[in-house]
Amino acid sequence: MSQTGNQAPTHSPHAPKRAIPHAYPNGNPDAPLNPPGARSTDSCLPIGQTGEVVHNYACTGPAPGDIAFRWIHGSVCAATNRDPRIQVVAYNEDTYILRENICINWEAPFTYLLFGNAGALLIDTGATPEAAYYPLRPTVDAIIRRWCSIRRKKSIPLTVVLTSGEDIAQNQGLRQFADRPETTLAPIELAATKQFHKLASWPDGTGAIDLGSRVIDVIPTPGSHKDGITFYDRYNGFLHTGDLLYPGRIQIGNDRDYVASLSRLQQWSEAHPVKWIMGGHIEMMFAPGRAYPRFKNYRPFEHVLELEPAVLAEALEAATGVLGKPDVVFRTDFILLNRVGPDEKNYRTSPDLPFIPVPIWLP
Amino acid sequence: MNRRTFLTYPIVSAALPSMSTASAVLSRIPSPEVLSAAASTDIDFTAHLPAPGTFPERWICGSSSCMDNQDPPIQVHWYNEHTAYLRQNKAYSYEAPFMHLYFGNQRILFIDQGYTQLRTDWPLRDVVDGCIAEWCKRNHRNIEEMELLISFSHLHDDHWAGINQFYDRPNTRYMGLTHEEMIGFWGMTNYPEERVTLDLGGRSILIWGSPGHVMSEFAYYDTYTQILFTGDMFYRGRCYISFWEPWFASMKRLMDFLETHPVTHVVGCHIEISRTGEDYPYGITYQPDEAPWQLTVAELRHAFEVAKTITQPGIYFTGSVFLCNQTRGTTTVDKNPYAYY
Repeated sequence: MSQTGNQAPTHSPHAPKRAIPHAYPNGNPDAPLNPPGARSTDSCLPIGQTGEVVHNYACTGPAPGDIAFRWIHGSVCAATNRDPRIQVVAYNEDTYILRENICINWEAPFTYLLFGNAGALLIDTGATPEAAYYPLRPTVDAIIRRWCSIRRKKSIPLTVVLTSGEDIAQNQGLRQFADRPETTLAPIELAATKQFHKLASWPDGTGAIDLGSRVIDVIPTPGSHKDGITFYDRYNGFLHTGDLLYPGRIQIGNDRDYVASLSRLQQWSEAHPVKWIMGGHIEMMFAPGRAYPRFKNYRPFEHVLELEPAVLAEALEAATGVLGKPDVVFRTDFILLNRVGPDEKNYRTSPDLPFIPVPIWLP
Repeated sequence: MNRRTFLTYPIVSAALPSMSTASAVLSRIPSPEVLSAAASTDIDFTAHLPAPGTFPERWICGSSSCMDNQDPPIQVHWYNEHTAYLRQNKAYSYEAPFMHLYFGNQRILFIDQGYTQLRTDWPLRDVVDGCIAEWCKRNHRNIEEMELLISFSHLHDDHWAGINQFYDRPNTRYMGLTHEEMIGFWGMTNYPEERVTLDLGGRSILIWGSPGHVMSEFAYYDTYTQILFTGDMFYRGRCYISFWEPWFASMKRLMDFLETHPVTHVVGCHIEISRTGEDYPYGITYQPDEAPWQLTVAELRHAFEVAKTITQPGIYFTGSVFLCNQTRGTTTVDKNPYAYY
């Protein structure tokens, strides 16, 4: 197998340099076999040991973890889809990524479940209220039950927060948790949200959620939504940006706020290690600058979920360029829609991106 | 046999016992048993017009969760005993196109084949074969003797995607996927003005060109039900008018047609509007409050009056259809619901 390190340079003048994630598919023989980040996670305990297992979440860089699976992406006829209603991927022992099946709702939102020693945090709740269609609560309960058993805990309190309270592609599953014991639900109104996260000087300042030696920072990022919030997970080095920045057709709600929020995240990423930007959806194809339009429930050519932190600067530049102007900006990994309708320039791309023919028309 | 003779193909029936026509016809003479059976049940498609029929109160229109949809993949509605309309389930394809089956004494015309390619995903072939078997049983016909003509309204893939499900069906002809093959199929040499008459065996279908949405589109008029089918050129939804001049000329052609022919209903390929006139955006898979499929002649005439006043590209609502003049293909009137300035 040849190495992928000698790729031709990208055609896009705007695209930042990308890391090549799988340059060494069979392992790099020159890399240290016992890297500094590796340590016992107490996952496999001696027989007979009792008492709660406590993790040390302090780490110098992003915690190890991998999305080693392809996301399920619908089917030609959504009515005949028999994939799981929620795809669950364990990123690492304390981080779970959940995705709603595209054939239940085209938004196919991602939901993140993070664990610390004293609490669990669910970021976003999906696009479908009915548990019969979208069993978020039973799925989260099952993950928590198993996690508690391996950590020898009776239970762990759950906090449910939203990257945007108003976003009906992310707040619909909230009511499934309404009667859940040991559960705190973030409010959906902006004023109450500011109080909940102690963000008195919104959109300045930050809050924090302590899950027990794992701290999640709360950064106000209005722009796509007036109540947008980004969560920074110090353990994984993830920015959970929701609708603010994700590989898709990003609808800017207010361009001044949007630019300000991206600047805030840009500054944040200069001061804190960011491994990936983890958004709420995927709408891009893997062909540069191409995206699926709204409502598509079969997306076989999807882009990956994770975005490199360099995309922040690229998005900031692109958003600054359209400040005050109705326009659509096409970039390799995202599209910005400013002051236009959600279907503006569907299926289009920019001439300065390489054109890759994708057979999108006939299912 | 060229295209023109194919269209006016002599109808083999007991009424023509001499069979003095060309030898090409002889090979297609039904067996004597069938001939006598047909003779006893020949359907008269010319008396008591228009033949009455009904549309469903509501069509099946998707569900909030597509994968939980329990409706049939294709809704079959018999408008009357000899006319069936089919609709693709919205949970199988958001386009949810309508399809037409017109039965004559010798031939069946099947217009449009939906938006899914494979029979394993969406069993169009099985449903159509089922309809034909049902009709043949009801009318004491031999299925093998009925020729199936498969055509489509226009050259967009949501109207012919299922066409190859019929590749091995006996006694079946289908249209090619180019403009040349389309007009050749009907033997037209003067598209779009030329109006040809397709004889299904006592039941005539009038066909002529109606470019505007695309350049390659037909209008179909069934003399039996007197239903006018205008494809995607005019339907209750967003009429994407790619080319204004040809579209306006096609509308004018429809107006002229109304002067000489009675029309009971005008039908198109889709429904994209609610009963309250709300636009269902392009691609949506659930339309819980759909407006009726059929349009009245008055609605068509009114749309023409509105069209006369249109001089600029844009979206114009006539009260029954959106005329999207030279807007891009998937235009909706939607705005970003979360915008705040």
